[in-house]
Amino acid sequence: MAEGIEVQLKKGVLGLCVLALLARGNSYAYEIASRLSAAVDMGEGTIYPLMRRMQGEGLVSTYLEESPSGPPRKYYAITEVGKNRFEEQAREWREFVEAVEAIIKTDAELGAQAEGNDDTQ
Amino acid sequence: MTRNEFIRRLKSGLGGMPAAEQAEMIADYEAYFDAGAAEGRSEIEIAEALGNPGRLARELRLEAGIKQWREDRSPSSAWTAVIGILGLATIDILILLPIILPVIGVIVALYVACVAVFFAGGVVMVAGPFAQMDVAVNGFAVLLGGLGIMGLATAAGSILTIVTIGFVNVIIWFGRLHY
Repeated sequence: MAEGIEVQLKKGVLGLCVLALLARGNSYAYEIASRLSAAVDMGEGTIYPLMRRMQGEGLVSTYLEESPSGPPRKYYAITEVGKNRFEEQAREWREFVEAVEAIIKTDAELGAQAEGNDDTQ
Repeated sequence: MTRNEFIRRLKSGLGGMPAAEQAEMIADYEAYFDAGAAEGRSEIEIAEALGNPGRLARELRLEAGIKQWREDRSPSSAWTAVIGILGLATIDILILLPIILPVIGVIVALYVACVAVFFAGGVVMVAGPFAQMDVAVNGFAVLLGGLGIMGLATAAGSILTIVTIGFVNVIIWFGRLHY
């Protein structure tokens, strides 16, 4: 299950990442998925079940916009509920990472940090 | 896998869902292929990146089932959602089955018990006042007693419904974490 925890973790933060991307600006599924799959390694096809879930929870809304090539594109925009959820989850994520970091720090790193603190004093 | 093959497998996986919903889901993936092609990726490359269409169809079905459950809270949508989760079953949820199945059994048994008590109360209410009893009992009191039993059964049934809704939500929450 060495791979298991990684997959679970990535799935868990995927929603947070989508909200973060949409908080910066509206986007369409292909763009969101290609930005995410570059950073978080996972099947790009999962983007649609995920977007449907987020839409169902009222975190994002959709609208159609003319595209330079082909038929109109479905764009996703973050809602007020989504913005609140994003802030809440981003804070939780940072707290979680800090807590885990503090625990998994090796002795060597702790030593280096202690020395660093000595230097500053 | 070619684009046609991907879409064909997706379609067969979505079979049985409302036609409009299916069409929308398929249009999403068609648009994805279009966008990928515009970036110069080949069909096979895009299909590979998208992943297994059968599995994606199951995920889409599950999301649709959960949405339906959120909207109507009906037994049939609860069933669809739970079956959807089991359809995506990983080892984790299989381990949970021995816990889930007895809980479902207990819930069903309690519902049956509630219905039985309700009808028993009805019988007491209707027939009680006319029964020949050794002890002199006020017929009106028996009627009220029967009504009380029916009320209790109804209340117990309502509480049971709340517990059942909570239970289905927990399964959905757990299943989503694990598929």
